[in-house]
Amino acid sequence: MTPPPPEAVAAMIRPAPRRPDSRINRDILSVMEGASLGYWVLLASAVLMVHVAGAIWIYQVYEGLGIAGYVHPVFWGVYIVTFVFWVGIAHAGTLISAILYLFRAKWRNAINRSAEAMTVFAVLTAAQFLGIHVGRIWKSYFILPYPNQRALWVNFKSPLLWDTFAISTYATISAVFLYIGMIPDLAIARDRAVGWRKVLYGALALGWQGTSRHWKAHTRSVLHLSGLATPLVLSVHSVVSWDFAMALVPGWHTTIFGPYFVAGAIFSGFAMVLTMMIPVRRIFGLEEYITDYHLENMSRFLLLTSIIVGYAYASEYFMAWYSGVEAEQTSFWMRAFGPYWISTWIMILCNAVFPQILWFKRVRTHVPTLFVLSVLVNVGMWFERYVIIITGLSREYNPSTWGIYTPSWYELGILAGSFAFFSMFFLVFLKLFPVIAIAEMKELAIHEKAHRQGGAH
Amino acid sequence: MPTLLGVYERPDQVAEVATRLRARGYTDLETYSPAPFAEVDDAVDEKPSRVRVFTLIGGLTGVVTGYAMTIWMANDWPIMLGGKPFSSIPPYTIIGFELTILFGGLLTVLGLFLVGGLPSLHRDKAYSPRFSAEEFGVAVRCQDRDVSEVDALLRGHGAEEVSLVEA
Amino acid sequence: MPELDRRDFLKLVGVGAGGAAAAGCSDHVEKLIPYVVQPEVITPGMPVFYASTCRECPAACGLHVRTREGRPIKLEGNPDHPVNRGALCGRGQASIGRTYHPDRFRKPQRRGAAGALEDVSWKEATAALAAKIAERPGGTWVLGGATGPSLSDLIDRFVGAVGAGGRLVYEPLSHDALREASRAVFGAAGLPIFDLSGADYVVDLGADCFETWLSPIEHQRQVLEARDLASAEGRAARMVYVGPRLSMTAGNADEWLPAKAGSEGLVALALANVALARRQAAGQPVGGDAGLLAALLAPYTPEKVAEPTGVDAAALRRVGEQLALAKRPVALPPGPGLASSRAVAASAAALILDAVLGAVGRSVGLPPETPATPEPANLAALEALVAAMNAGRVSVLLIHDSNPVYSLPPQLGFRDALAKVGLVVAFASGPDETTELAGLVLPDHTPLESWGDASSRPGVRGVVQPTIRPLFDTQAFGDVLLDTARAMGDAVGAKLPQGSFRGVVEASWGGSFDAVLARGGSFAPAPLRGGAVQAGAAKLAFRVPELVGEGEHALYAPPSPLLYDGRGAALPWLQETPDPVTKISWQSWLELSHASAEALGVEAGDVVAIETPAGRAEAIAFPRGGIRDDVVALAVGQGHSVGLYASHQNDGRPGEARGASAIALLPSVRDEAGGRAWLVSKARITRTGGHARLALMQKSDNKRGRQLGDAVALAALEGDAHASGHAGPHEVRRPFAAAADATDGSAYRWGMTIDVDKCTGCSACTIACSIENNIPTVGEEQVVRSRLMSWLRIERWIGDGTQELRAGRPPYDDHEQLGRIDVRNSPMLCQQCGAAPCEPVCPVLATYHAPEGLNGMIYNRCIGTRYCSNNCPYKVRRFNWFDYAIHNWPDPMPLMLNPDVTVRCQGVMEKCTFCVQRIDLARQTAKNEGRPIADGEVTPACAQTCPSHAIVFGNLRDEGSAAVRTAEAGGVRAYHALHTLNTRPSISYLARVIRDPSSRIDEDGGHAEAGHHANAMTPSQEGTA
Repeated sequence: MTPPPPEAVAAMIRPAPRRPDSRINRDILSVMEGASLGYWVLLASAVLMVHVAGAIWIYQVYEGLGIAGYVHPVFWGVYIVTFVFWVGIAHAGTLISAILYLFRAKWRNAINRSAEAMTVFAVLTAAQFLGIHVGRIWKSYFILPYPNQRALWVNFKSPLLWDTFAISTYATISAVFLYIGMIPDLAIARDRAVGWRKVLYGALALGWQGTSRHWKAHTRSVLHLSGLATPLVLSVHSVVSWDFAMALVPGWHTTIFGPYFVAGAIFSGFAMVLTMMIPVRRIFGLEEYITDYHLENMSRFLLLTSIIVGYAYASEYFMAWYSGVEAEQTSFWMRAFGPYWISTWIMILCNAVFPQILWFKRVRTHVPTLFVLSVLVNVGMWFERYVIIITGLSREYNPSTWGIYTPSWYELGILAGSFAFFSMFFLVFLKLFPVIAIAEMKELAIHEKAHRQGGAH
Repeated sequence: MPTLLGVYERPDQVAEVATRLRARGYTDLETYSPAPFAEVDDAVDEKPSRVRVFTLIGGLTGVVTGYAMTIWMANDWPIMLGGKPFSSIPPYTIIGFELTILFGGLLTVLGLFLVGGLPSLHRDKAYSPRFSAEEFGVAVRCQDRDVSEVDALLRGHGAEEVSLVEA
Repeated sequence: MPELDRRDFLKLVGVGAGGAAAAGCSDHVEKLIPYVVQPEVITPGMPVFYASTCRECPAACGLHVRTREGRPIKLEGNPDHPVNRGALCGRGQASIGRTYHPDRFRKPQRRGAAGALEDVSWKEATAALAAKIAERPGGTWVLGGATGPSLSDLIDRFVGAVGAGGRLVYEPLSHDALREASRAVFGAAGLPIFDLSGADYVVDLGADCFETWLSPIEHQRQVLEARDLASAEGRAARMVYVGPRLSMTAGNADEWLPAKAGSEGLVALALANVALARRQAAGQPVGGDAGLLAALLAPYTPEKVAEPTGVDAAALRRVGEQLALAKRPVALPPGPGLASSRAVAASAAALILDAVLGAVGRSVGLPPETPATPEPANLAALEALVAAMNAGRVSVLLIHDSNPVYSLPPQLGFRDALAKVGLVVAFASGPDETTELAGLVLPDHTPLESWGDASSRPGVRGVVQPTIRPLFDTQAFGDVLLDTARAMGDAVGAKLPQGSFRGVVEASWGGSFDAVLARGGSFAPAPLRGGAVQAGAAKLAFRVPELVGEGEHALYAPPSPLLYDGRGAALPWLQETPDPVTKISWQSWLELSHASAEALGVEAGDVVAIETPAGRAEAIAFPRGGIRDDVVALAVGQGHSVGLYASHQNDGRPGEARGASAIALLPSVRDEAGGRAWLVSKARITRTGGHARLALMQKSDNKRGRQLGDAVALAALEGDAHASGHAGPHEVRRPFAAAADATDGSAYRWGMTIDVDKCTGCSACTIACSIENNIPTVGEEQVVRSRLMSWLRIERWIGDGTQELRAGRPPYDDHEQLGRIDVRNSPMLCQQCGAAPCEPVCPVLATYHAPEGLNGMIYNRCIGTRYCSNNCPYKVRRFNWFDYAIHNWPDPMPLMLNPDVTVRCQGVMEKCTFCVQRIDLARQTAKNEGRPIADGEVTPACAQTCPSHAIVFGNLRDEGSAAVRTAEAGGVRAYHALHTLNTRPSISYLARVIRDPSSRIDEDGGHAEAGHHANAMTPSQEGTA
């Protein structure tokens, strides 16, 4: 990773007046203070949408999955598509906080908190869809290996069970990661808050005082958690990809799926971080902390993963053609020109073609363009999953059962609900917790100060 | 016993004074820093943190649990599935892996708590919100007769101010 | 009567059990009512079988009614019955639903002043009827469908006793022309009997003998037995179809001569012309005065006939030659759908051909001098009745076993004439178009509730016995007649038998009635009567018929293979089972050629208007290759406006007709002898601009060279591997021992062998499966989304197919071609794979591999992830999208649920398990007797009902089992579906055999292949999937 250009760092560092408070504290904590009307409107509409989706879901449970657009033989639809989409989103967080941490990429400090939060909320959202998808939600606890009078366990050979374990592990670890990393900042908030917030942060800060003993254990734990989380990130989306790769459906059963999905996940994850952070830094005036330099680094990641994803698309088609397997060839031909050609081309354009403009620094540093692009990438990545799942199933081995699936309005309603669900959590998070890792920002700032004062090192 | 608190601006100052103090036998000291600085932490206590032990134990427990659970359950009531062996290691490796991470992570947290002494209801007299701003503190407990020397030491390394926290 | 008490009790038990079964998945538990006094014939949990007879169509197949705790739950063929020998068609299977139909009348009803039906007691009803008849006995008429001899006699005696005006037997598909033709040719009026056993050369002149014609089950069995590949004769056997449309029957022939609609007679004469010469040359008998025949046939040389029929003269000549040389050739006259204004001549031509071929007395039997029941009335007689009604000469009209308001051509004016009848009495058990207009509805028992008999030919008479106490307050038609007569006074009553109609039936058998009941009737078929062509035949005028109306298409209205003449429309299974040819269900579609479709600018799914002089109707266009450009086809059977399933009532659209009624479009036209003609009108087809989503269950007949519905050329069976339809050695096609895929200890590995060459596509198995396994019907809207629930479907492939890549989303693709047949009907059900892809992916072990190799499905464990279905390459798993068990089984239908099979609830996956409940029953029996399960002891519903024995079930671990032996005997024909996926299926398919029609039979009856199948489609390729 390229080191921060001096001017960028300089921009970050101001000689901090000793009293009253450190400027970093004030800037970042100010985000949590008060809330504009716009914020409440946003939050309210999110909550409302969540309720609408909830109502649809209850109706579906009561009436039956038939209200969704499922058509024989396409038995997986928008719900699984969206599940995979959100699991993908969940990847940037841990990647930024864990992997970049191990690589000592300091620029991550500005964005890791929000990315980690995003991860947790995205996993939460994704988890909903496992329940929404199944036919008998009221029996879904069967999937847990709990002792029961039937003396019947579960099938650990099923990718769906791997999913259950991977997703729940991922949710736990990323939540832990988020919380542990936040403890020092919670102490900062505690020391400055009043009223119920003081109580809340006081409880959550666990009596943190920043003593050497605290810091030693803390840095060590974060290091270990990063070490554990790094393979976890890679594994989770591989496991999700095996839901498909382990099946013999043409277009699913390919070895490339693991890396392909992981790259895609990081791709969409970074896009989502951009989509969330660009408005946030604008609204709360955090340009000094989340600088164009950070955005540029993320867009570099975007470019890299976009190339990997594009390569995956290409090699999929090549393999399908080169294998000489008629079913594979047909399946992929149908992807590009069959009933779902529109989705396929949306996916290719948004994921493999458009991001190529990031080769130009002017684009990488032009924030509005980045924002639009990041949204397009999110759209494209949703359609990638749609294409893989739906076209795969709709053109299978037995041509007598080929069918064409179209999502129903109920499904789309729940899809919209999932975005509301996600934003709801993020909005609440903004007002409750420091959106930027304060302590880590200070680490940078103090180091710089030390350098400027030529302190002995 | 009195406790003196010196306030500093830079981590390197804290590290130096802490080292000097310990060299002079003032081992009962505590530092407060707004951000993690390895030099400070090591100056107070150079021994590596014991959190690693917890992580290791957690990880090992996880992998063992993962394999043991899957293999036992598959054989507790053996059911033929797609002509695969009952104890088929490759799929069970995934469970083993996930549990390694899960248990490892959770025990790391436990480690943080035990080793770092968290959570604690105790609040040092020397601690103040300024240390969660951008200042550093060094609190030393010493005999009454040593107060002046400690004070000198603290000031000697560029303390912005030195105060007697408790007499 | 103690018997009644017991029945009462059983009925209660039945209700309890049915309720419990329906409640299957839901959490509340209903208790069964235990027996207080155990009836001696019933062991709870064990089925009791009663022999009876199917009344669904005049073929009158024998039944074994399986009952549980006093409820019939499944109909199976009676193996002793000479007509069906244990098999049963789809209509027969579904007919059990009539007894439990939610529409059924609960009580007798009278139309009140307001015009609505209101309940009356039987006493009042019969009294009122008696009084009305007494007013003007001569004005009383009886009109009704074909009945058994006993009832028929009773009706006649009733007519006599009360001095009624008369009685007409009315069958919509009455074969008037064939009866007349038989008289014209042989001087014996009536329906000839066609016995196709051993027939090595069948020419079906549009009879569609596998579908609805005379005795379809029997014909299927006979033809396919005659084609048995084990014997040289069987390999030499051929079947030629002549007709305008690639029907289900045509799809099973070896050659298709797409003659102009109505010209089948001329084709027959041309064939006779060639055959006559050839046989005379060979000095073989020609079934009549040679001179007469020569003179009669002289004008009809293949060359002359080629033009009017549109059939290539060379083909005619070749077929004629082959016929002449065949050992047991037989020609079948045109069926009702092709009965034109020249139908008598056309049918006569076919009979003459039979005579020339010497088939009369061998494969064709002349009708008996004295028919067991009166001949059905022809159109002329019906016109007379309508005239009488209009003239007010009919005061009382008793209508039984028929629905004339629907099935008579509207031009006849029967509907309006009914208004002029004093009292119309309908004896239907459920509402239909006729009961809507009846003044008095006296609901009859269903056949499963009534006594009676049926006879389809001399010497064969089946008994009909009740197998359940009548569910509602209904009365047997016979008993109503007796009661009415008695109500008219002792004078009248005395002229009729005393006691109940049951007594009449019993008396008619004489001897030991119990033996009859046990066997199901008396089966001693009389030998076929021979006869010679009479001089009268020469007087017939053989011509292509003139059609009324304008338009460039002839409107061809064949009877529906499933709905028959429309009486099947009220049975949901018949509505929902995809049509054997087009795979459309619930809807009415107009078949037209691709050329016609392009000319009209319509695509599949576009709604078109059909106009004839008789009326206008709308149907969904369905272009296909297998129909002549000058013909459009609309199957008879839909277009009812009454009935829960027959119409759109259940969709909240009261009385709206489902689909279009072909009958309503046909002008009322007589044939030469006053018979009813169906091929009578041209139709003008126009676009309406409307569009409908087709309830189409198979959207492609292109198998893309994958291992589904394979075929081999006949030559391959003579060891000529290169002539095989497949690339690659056949070892590849049976790569493993399926027998291995069960636990080591197990004595059984259940498996099947399915002979694609024998499967006619009739779909009886599909319906049998649905009824045996409590599979719900889901209705048109759901079928449009391909959510059909059936565990077993018949896939219909044309040729080996190619890797065709079509852009966009075509509604379906169709590869039929005029004059070509390469149809493979391939039953597809769960393959019970040894390496089942569905098993490892289920997270909760809801589907697993049972110790005996079955792919078990535990409904109560399923949470509905649907992963198993994604991973099933055969796509045989079905999902309960809604709570069908509750919504789709209105009372009293739960009574017919099979208590041995769980009723599935919303959100669970389901699939075929080889009728595991039957396996378990057999296992228990065998265990009690301390022996292993014998081969043939277990037969799944599909295999049991298959008319052509295409499905053989058995234990793959028993080398001697029929399933294994059949597969081995298959040799190069044996293959596993999609074997390249190595799912190790337990089902072996035997490839269809392509019999080259151009290979001629030489004198010694053997045959030599002459080159490749002229009709072969694209060169077949081993699938590369």
